[in-house]
Amino acid sequence: MKLKVYADRMSQPARAVIIFCKLNGIDYEEVRVDISKLQHLTPEYSEINPMKQLPAIVDGRFKLFESHAILIYLACSYPGIPDHWYPADVCKRSEIHSVLDWHHSNLRRGPGIIYQNIISMPVIGRRFNPEAVAEGEKFLSASLSKIESFWLKDKGQFLLGGNKPSIADLSLVCDIMQLEVLDEADRDRLLGPYKKVEQWIENTRSAANPHFDEVHKILLKVKEKRQNLRLKGANNEGGGSAMKKPLLSRI
Amino acid sequence: MHAKKWRESKKTKMKLKVYADRMSQPVRAVIIFCKLNGIEYEEVRVDISKLQHLTPEYSEINPMNQLPAIVDGRFKLFESHAILIYLACSYPGIPDHWYPADVRKRSEIHSVLDWHHSNLRRGPGIIYQNTIPVSVLGRRFNPEAVAEGEKFLSASLSKIESFWLKDKGQFLLGGNKPSIADLSLVCDIMQLEVLDETDRDRLLGPYKKVEQWIENTRSAANPHFDEVHKILIKAKEKRQNLRLKGANNEGGGSAMKKPWLSRI
Repeated sequence: MKLKVYADRMSQPARAVIIFCKLNGIDYEEVRVDISKLQHLTPEYSEINPMKQLPAIVDGRFKLFESHAILIYLACSYPGIPDHWYPADVCKRSEIHSVLDWHHSNLRRGPGIIYQNIISMPVIGRRFNPEAVAEGEKFLSASLSKIESFWLKDKGQFLLGGNKPSIADLSLVCDIMQLEVLDEADRDRLLGPYKKVEQWIENTRSAANPHFDEVHKILLKVKEKRQNLRLKGANNEGGGSAMKKPLLSRI
Repeated sequence: MHAKKWRESKKTKMKLKVYADRMSQPVRAVIIFCKLNGIEYEEVRVDISKLQHLTPEYSEINPMNQLPAIVDGRFKLFESHAILIYLACSYPGIPDHWYPADVRKRSEIHSVLDWHHSNLRRGPGIIYQNTIPVSVLGRRFNPEAVAEGEKFLSASLSKIESFWLKDKGQFLLGGNKPSIADLSLVCDIMQLEVLDETDRDRLLGPYKKVEQWIENTRSAANPHFDEVHKILIKAKEKRQNLRLKGANNEGGGSAMKKPWLSRI
């Protein structure tokens, strides 16, 4: 039975799992679970993942949720996967576990909160929360600062040093990519202070292409759609570019 | 180089250092694991109430300024789940049930530990932080934060009760032996031991399987589990004494009968 990956490509951790599968030639079926239509809350999906989150996998009779656990499972279970993704060396593995654990309580809380409040909550009829966005930005800056000053402090191209990515690079970069739906000015304001982070994002993207860009196309479409909607709104109000307004007013 | 081989190649064996404050839930899990498995270590106390985790010296050990952290020779590591896995893989003679070699069982452990970060961990910790060291860290009691903590806790306990403990096994993965996941999550819930009995019962009482699982984990990890958790009993007694003093100064009567929020 083919591996099933339950995914919505708008979800950062879902993208990490899909890109990993594609990069490593893992044969899988992508089962779309549309978050914007609340399909992750259906009884059918609860059978797959009682926590009602994405991604989840079903491999034969084995079900698994939590993207970090999934990435590790795939790296250990499928043949021919290069060691750099999840090294056999215990110390290197521990460093991966450490950064992935830190990610849960830190970086993940940044882009996700910003994105949810600006993009996905309006879709499901919830109100934009400027305090939540401000908190998200605070988490994001603190996290990027840690990555810049600690994990990327040496000359390596990736979080563990060295010149090959691990599942930690893939997971964290997919999270930061959520910011691609924002306007250039906001994205640059949030990421611009962190030059090593920007280089590391590019390194990870190159190492994971062409699949990385293909899987992230969905974010570009969302960005375009949002820009078009705003331009329509600006035109109706008498013209002028919405791009120059601060982030919070551009929803 | 493999951690074990690196250590064996050294002429003098450097003892593992565990940077710890036993008031921290994840710290207790690491210390109990070391004691249970005969891992020789030096416990280096880093007192959170004195903000020692924020010193430049400690930042050299863990730049994230959190506990626990370990130093094993030249290898430094932070994040308790990563530490537990590292110890299980690096030290000899550790029973397989703590972190099984079977990839699927390991994956289930990773899954529950990851879920823990975003769910259960946000419950007892928030409740504890907002009720106990208010005077110690100079922070104000925040009833909204406590309410949010209680909400996370209830939702998390409900999930543990209905999903991981739904079958007849004594522990999260089923079966009759604990894993590092049981140790980690139960140590978190134990933080509630500093609360009054009525509040603890109110929060945990609806979850009978959870209560049994806590007892199972405690039995499996004793006598070390109780020994490491003594600090919470002391913290609870100190808090009760402070409140009784305050109640007596206000004209007597037991503070114990007042509603939860007023008993700080």
